[in-house]
Amino acid sequence: MRQLDLLKHTDTVNELLARYGVKFGIYKNNEFKEQLFPFDAIPRIIAHEEFLFLERGLKQRVMALNLFIKDIYSKKQIVKDGIVPEDFIFASSGYMAECENAMPPRGIYAHISGIDLVKGKDGKWYILEDNLRVPSGASYPMIARELCRRSSPDTFHDNHLEDNRNYAGLLRHTMDYVNTGGHTVILTPGRYNAAYFEHSYLAEKTGAHLVNGAELRVKNDRLYYVSVDGSLEPVGAVYRRISDDYLDPMNFRPDSLIGIPHIYDVFRKGNVALLNAPGNGVADDKGIYYFVPKMIRYYLDEEPVLSNAPTYLPFYEEDMRYVLENFDRLVLKDVAEAGGYGVVFGSSMSKEQKEDFIALLKREPRRFIAQEVIDFQDLDIMDDCFVVPRKADLRAFVLMAEEPLVWKSGLTRFSRNPDSFIVNSSQGGGFKDTWVLSQ
Amino acid sequence: MKKLTFDYYMQIDYSETVSSCHFTIKCLPKETLRQRAENVKVLLSPDVPYSMGRDSFGNAQIYGWDDVAHTTFSFRITGDVYTGLDRREEQIDEDMLAVFRHPHGLNRAGEGLFAYHEKLAGELPADAYERALFLMHRLHEDFVYEKGCTDVGTTAAEAWELGRGVCQDYAHILIALLHMVGIPARYVTGMISGEGASHAWVEIAKDGFWYGIDPTNDIPVGDDYIKIGVGRDAADCLINRGIMHGGGSQTQTVRVSVNEERKD
Repeated sequence: MRQLDLLKHTDTVNELLARYGVKFGIYKNNEFKEQLFPFDAIPRIIAHEEFLFLERGLKQRVMALNLFIKDIYSKKQIVKDGIVPEDFIFASSGYMAECENAMPPRGIYAHISGIDLVKGKDGKWYILEDNLRVPSGASYPMIARELCRRSSPDTFHDNHLEDNRNYAGLLRHTMDYVNTGGHTVILTPGRYNAAYFEHSYLAEKTGAHLVNGAELRVKNDRLYYVSVDGSLEPVGAVYRRISDDYLDPMNFRPDSLIGIPHIYDVFRKGNVALLNAPGNGVADDKGIYYFVPKMIRYYLDEEPVLSNAPTYLPFYEEDMRYVLENFDRLVLKDVAEAGGYGVVFGSSMSKEQKEDFIALLKREPRRFIAQEVIDFQDLDIMDDCFVVPRKADLRAFVLMAEEPLVWKSGLTRFSRNPDSFIVNSSQGGGFKDTWVLSQ
Repeated sequence: MKKLTFDYYMQIDYSETVSSCHFTIKCLPKETLRQRAENVKVLLSPDVPYSMGRDSFGNAQIYGWDDVAHTTFSFRITGDVYTGLDRREEQIDEDMLAVFRHPHGLNRAGEGLFAYHEKLAGELPADAYERALFLMHRLHEDFVYEKGCTDVGTTAAEAWELGRGVCQDYAHILIALLHMVGIPARYVTGMISGEGASHAWVEIAKDGFWYGIDPTNDIPVGDDYIKIGVGRDAADCLINRGIMHGGGSQTQTVRVSVNEERKD
């Protein structure tokens, strides 16, 4: 693979990324800081055949997850049939009773899914988690590819890879497919959001209006965009980049200042599409993750193509016993936390911490899952002039319109710290472009 | 059977002008097996257009946006309700039943309430309906009715620790106890005969139907009750909810009257 020329341009690309404002906002000690999202020019390369396999598995998974959410907010057949215990639905913070009996346009709940995977040292891919609420990250490989092409055209001439610049077109189609009539908008909480760059970039690339809550208004059971001259223009699809809780102060958190009052009432009447639909948290809870392979068998009558990391639910007595016996080699995750927080390794706890944790685990078994630590493959990154190995994962993006579609690229994130397995960007890692070979 | 005439009036006075507000009102009598409403009228002030819809629990709601500057917002809902048409309240929607089996929001118990349940565990009747009535009787004995010590955000756990509260607290605590003994239960808002404020009680699932019981008055729901909304807790069926621009401080007044229509 010829990449050498591209690597010479690492600094140029990073400078351009900084100039374009490709930043990641984080809150630390209540202070908002923007940090650059460091780009490493050595791409992750996925062979053509290998990606076809991933594609099959990802489509299957997102199909099943969509059917699950639809089922949960209507018939709940999977619960009635005893596949998923009631506790994992109704005691979960992701389940929202407000979403009962409100079918989204065309019955799609997860239009844009970010599925996190890792490749183990055994050469096998494992699903780490599903992100079905407001997954971010597609813009980073999009713009990185763009800038890399500009800096080193020869690299892309010599290598046969899938062009990832079609994401905007795919996203636009996904939004148009469910649009109920009117404008398509991307709703952002504003420039102090961690992913503001992405919101503005996707709006520019898809041709959708970038709006904030104050620019949208509900009137007579329709949603409108308030244009500069004060006139109201109908909106048919909202790719909202704010969480369910803050979306509508009249239906969800009453103290939200960034939401649109009554937008959910308009949605309930079928007069606007919300991407993704509210209530999806019920399916990407870390506790529900355990049940996804069961969902695939239940709804699709197929064997899962992609595997979960081996996971145990202390909620089940048998699993609790296993977890206690093998505590030191497991990783424990708090189902309510996200962004790499609430993750602890049994091996890294002191005797005292361990005792406290086990007491907590016994008191609230539903709150945690335990997983085998997957020894995942390192990817090479450039550290100054040296090539060093770092842990990395892949966020694949799956868009759902007539059928699920997997974007032939993805966000590869790596940990900055050589000992860390946590690659979440809110904890300060970097990213790579993901090349999918076209032949 | 009785024919009740009701008048629900709510007024909010603001210390400063409200330039605009959003409102959702869930205050229409529900159509059930036990009651049927007619001649229902809605009066809003300022008189702005509104939409109608249903929430996920099937409660009718009136909602809208008011951009007429005002210092007083009020609504009045009046109508006639035939009650006592059936002992059963409503048929259970099996798809939703599980929602009412699990603790949520304001109906969550704390250690004190779990301990209380432990204490009663030995005396619980085997029959589910009898068990529910037993818990209602005990709660009525062991909890004191007192206004002003709890508010709309008080949980079952908190009210139980205080040992006192109003109809909303009785209902949340009873729901928490019913969850502990495996009976699906839901929160009900409504009105009862006489003059005063709105009322709240509980419904329990039995043989495919919901039945109302009122822990504040320690009786099964009869023909003096007009049911409005249902939910897991009070927050699911708030009678009015609003957000406004401006307004300063506010005072809320609620006047409810329910009278039996005299037969000539």
